[in-house]
Amino acid sequence: MAFLTEDQFTALQLLLKAPSKDAVRQICTESYPAGASKCQSTVEKTANALSVSNSEAMQLLTAFHMLSHHVVYQNLTSPEQILPIFPESFHSNLKNLITKILLENSVTWRNEALSSQISLPKLVDLEWRVDMKTASDSLSRMAVPTCLLQMKLQDTPCISGGPSESTVTMELSKETLDTMIDGLGRIRDQLSTVARK
Amino acid sequence: MLQLHFTNDTLPDHVCTDFQNLNKFSEQQFVRLTEILYQFLLEPKESERFLRQLTEFAGENGMSAGPLRALMKSVLILPHGALKRNLTAEQVKADLLSLGLNEDKATHFSDQWRIHYPVLSRLAVGQTLMVNQLVDMEWKFGVTVGTSELQKTGNIFLQLKLVIRKGNKTENVYMELTLPQFYNFLHEMERAKASMDCFS
Repeated sequence: MAFLTEDQFTALQLLLKAPSKDAVRQICTESYPAGASKCQSTVEKTANALSVSNSEAMQLLTAFHMLSHHVVYQNLTSPEQILPIFPESFHSNLKNLITKILLENSVTWRNEALSSQISLPKLVDLEWRVDMKTASDSLSRMAVPTCLLQMKLQDTPCISGGPSESTVTMELSKETLDTMIDGLGRIRDQLSTVARK
Repeated sequence: MLQLHFTNDTLPDHVCTDFQNLNKFSEQQFVRLTEILYQFLLEPKESERFLRQLTEFAGENGMSAGPLRALMKSVLILPHGALKRNLTAEQVKADLLSLGLNEDKATHFSDQWRIHYPVLSRLAVGQTLMVNQLVDMEWKFGVTVGTSELQKTGNIFLQLKLVIRKGNKTENVYMELTLPQFYNFLHEMERAKASMDCFS
């Protein structure tokens, strides 16, 4: 499985210069997010920690980034699945340490990938209130309950930029609310049918 | 100064005269006019139909359409005011009598009021201002099979499309919910419904 080039494996071995296992862990977790190898401060931090040049640090971060994303993509969950990725000549202790770090973090990374995947704006908050309409221009005395619903949606772009929040406020009459709850009940039934299959 | 239930304003003289002129119609004519009037009240958007029916009536009964239309315009003031003030049939009859309409016609008109009142008041409630009214909801749910980050997943997602009326146009709002969020949403909506049910 040679998706990482020989040069990249060589770059990974720069980790041998790390002062401690925790330093290796730190570098590995920092290299995971997208664009980490282009982030100036991360590159410099890594270069200082390993006493290597900035360009070597960038190569290392890129290599580890590819490796970790590969592990998450293929959902490799055991040492037996990860160890064969490395070439025979790779430093054995470092190989074991990297494998251990990958396994420690892969569940977190996987969940992160799931929660930040492409999607429609996500519902992040919901608020409601029930009002009683007591008068209007068409009826000077009335007692009509109505529901106001506010939903906060967050749109997190996958590629770049920060999340953008939008708020939607809407009014529901009693009939509308009943119909909506019917619809939601049907969703719940459909979901449990699918879950049972 | 007439004490009327359906309005506090002083009515212009021609309105009072118009109500008294209703007495000149025969019973049959009055019943038909009342029918046309209530049809219009029940379907207020059908103004063209209302005017057409009045013109036909005028033709059939040998009178000019213009004065008839003006007469009916005055008469409409009463049911509009009565609806706004939630008047009972008795109060409507009392007002008609005060305005000089004869007993039989006043009784007939107020009986029709009693019959149509529930529908008319529901119509008035429906015409009451609603801000950003939710008009439709569509959904789909499915399973995410894979992404660019994860070759194989089995994540369930639920997508909702809410259609909201904003003034004259509608706006679509799209959103995605995870399963726990969906159950929470359903729970909150049931709580809102319980709260609303307390009041009705």
